[in-house]
Amino acid sequence: MSKIEIKKLVKRYGEHQALHGIDISIPQGEFCVLVGPSGCGKSTTLRMVAGLETISGGDVVIGDRVVNGLKAKDRGIAMVFQNYALYPAKTVYNNMAFSLQLSKMPKPEIAKRIADVAEILELTPLLDRKPGALSGGQRQRVAMGRAIVRDPEVFLFDEPLSNLDAKLRGQMRAEIKRLHQRLKNTIIYVTHDQVEAMTLADKIVIMKDGRIEQQGTPDEVFHDPDTLFVAGFMGSPPMNLIECFATDKGIKLPSVEIACDMPSAVRPGDKLVFGIRSDDIRPAEDGFEGVSISANVNLIEQLGTENLVHFSLGPDEMIGKTGGRTRITPNQEVSFTLQMQHAYFFDPETGRRLR
Amino acid sequence: MSRVINGLKENGTPYFFLLPCIVILGALLSVPLYKVVEYSLYDNVIVERNPTFVGLQNYSNLLTDSAFWSASVNTLIFTLGSVIGHIIVGTGLALLVNAEIHPRAQTVFRSLLILPWIFTAVVVALNWQLLLNPFGVINYGLTEIGLIDTPIDWLGDPAFAMWALLLISTWRGYPFIMVSFLSGLQSIPKELYEAAEIDGAGFFAKFWHVTVPQLKPVIYGVALLDLIWTFQLFPLVWLTTGGGPGRSTEVLSTMTFRQGFVDFEFSQAATTAVSILIISAAFTILYLRNEKQKI
Ligand SMILES: Nc1ncnc2c1ncn2[C@@H]1O[C@H](COP(=O)(O)OP(=O)(O)O)[C@@H](O)[C@H]1O
Ligand SMILES: [Mg+2]
Repeated sequence: MSKIEIKKLVKRYGEHQALHGIDISIPQGEFCVLVGPSGCGKSTTLRMVAGLETISGGDVVIGDRVVNGLKAKDRGIAMVFQNYALYPAKTVYNNMAFSLQLSKMPKPEIAKRIADVAEILELTPLLDRKPGALSGGQRQRVAMGRAIVRDPEVFLFDEPLSNLDAKLRGQMRAEIKRLHQRLKNTIIYVTHDQVEAMTLADKIVIMKDGRIEQQGTPDEVFHDPDTLFVAGFMGSPPMNLIECFATDKGIKLPSVEIACDMPSAVRPGDKLVFGIRSDDIRPAEDGFEGVSISANVNLIEQLGTENLVHFSLGPDEMIGKTGGRTRITPNQEVSFTLQMQHAYFFDPETGRRLR
Repeated sequence: MSRVINGLKENGTPYFFLLPCIVILGALLSVPLYKVVEYSLYDNVIVERNPTFVGLQNYSNLLTDSAFWSASVNTLIFTLGSVIGHIIVGTGLALLVNAEIHPRAQTVFRSLLILPWIFTAVVVALNWQLLLNPFGVINYGLTEIGLIDTPIDWLGDPAFAMWALLLISTWRGYPFIMVSFLSGLQSIPKELYEAAEIDGAGFFAKFWHVTVPQLKPVIYGVALLDLIWTFQLFPLVWLTTGGGPGRSTEVLSTMTFRQGFVDFEFSQAATTAVSILIISAAFTILYLRNEKQKI
């Protein structure tokens, strides 16, 4: 078990620069999730830590060693791939045993280790099967088993759950979390799914275009986003983001003025982006305190325990939230309460949060 | 009956268009096939107007002919040697041209390495005769670097002729294996190699545990096909050594030709040809069974 330091990591593919100086510090035993849209450089970062991709600049430190020049097998890492990459011609047992056999571990010890890990992952009845005869979830568990038997210092996961259906993904997510609590290894986990990131991470690193937008605990990046991008990326439904102007009492949207406390740096007349989560927009009948506005409901999205209410505010569409038993229907004029103490403001030019 | 005709009317159109092709192919295949088997049961065919029916006499002659057995052994050596040579060289080169180098260089090497396959057998044979000639480039090179003292007549010396022939046949035939394996190699997911790399596999472990199992279905089919082709290969052998010196590189196909068109023993030639047919057919059935399993 080791800490990982990624320092000013740069990756170039010929002319194209994929990573522009990534700095991440992961203490021993931490579960770190890299999240961001497709093509932002998550896999590249992970693969450079793994040793599958050369390093164009900067350092990767695992434990106390700079591992830039080390081969993948000497870095003390194990990796789980998106499509599992199980050896199709080998049985589950031999898939898990391969690395141990290569390191010349005595046979009885290999057998014991695999028996232990198979027990944890409920793979014992499947040990003699080949990957072709397994379901997606079982393959996923074999891939994890293959990583665990090596007892690595660090686990690397590259979108390990994205080939599973929604229900299985939820189960495996819980299983990975449980495994981490039990094994306490340092983990870097790549995903494009912000729900996965929120539920698994001790630390979330949000990336965009080869740069880090923000890193912090799930709570921090969700409730205290540094940038417009992070605010829009984390959370489902995404935060409502609306262009507006500052006034001396609050903000002026195209169709309505809202009174609220403004960040100290904002001057009246400044162009802003106003952000508010749908949790903080409730129909007046739900009895929350805040600024009232009236709007026409376009659509009710039923999620069971709660409903999302889509409504128009001038040219902008916003999403509010209410309980699952609401009687609001589309095309109805409804009064909403905006809890403006939870509003965010961003600079539309730089995308930075205005505090 | 009318139902059959109606069915044919509805679904028969494609078969109707295929008909000329089927008729021509059938005539070209079945008539000679029938004739060869018929000839093998007579004596003095073609050279005499009224050949005599001798039953299986030609076959018993063949089986007691020591030349037939030595040609069979040579055929076995030539076929197995060639196929093994093709697989080793073809696999090696497929791995090399599959390596990640500059894309343009990759294309150039791939094209160059397919060339041996493109030339006709005559060109290949003549070129190799020139190269392997006692006064040829290969002897010159080998004497220059001191590997041999005096030039060797590679194709004319019974001790070397089969080896020289295998060299030529390997050179001639590896591109088929290389191309087949190359497409096989390209379909192996890169993640498997990466997983193996992380698991600590070196070059040979990756080859043995990832490449070979992934290529296995291709290897078996391609090797069998190559076996069928090489087994009855005639022009390359005839044009380089002609089965000689003496009978040292005589294979069943050259023996057939010699019996027919040199000795004018057409009945005996037909008998030898039928023996080739039987063995080829056996391999072909194996091959077809394998292909069917894949589907
Ligand atoms: N082998 C490669 N050659 C060239 N460009 C690459 C290569 N691998 C990745 N890239 C580029 O690097 C960027 C980051 O890719 P990647 O790390 O795979 O993104 P993701 O966040 O989706 O995992 C992308 O723009 C991609 O096109
Ligand atoms: Mg990726």
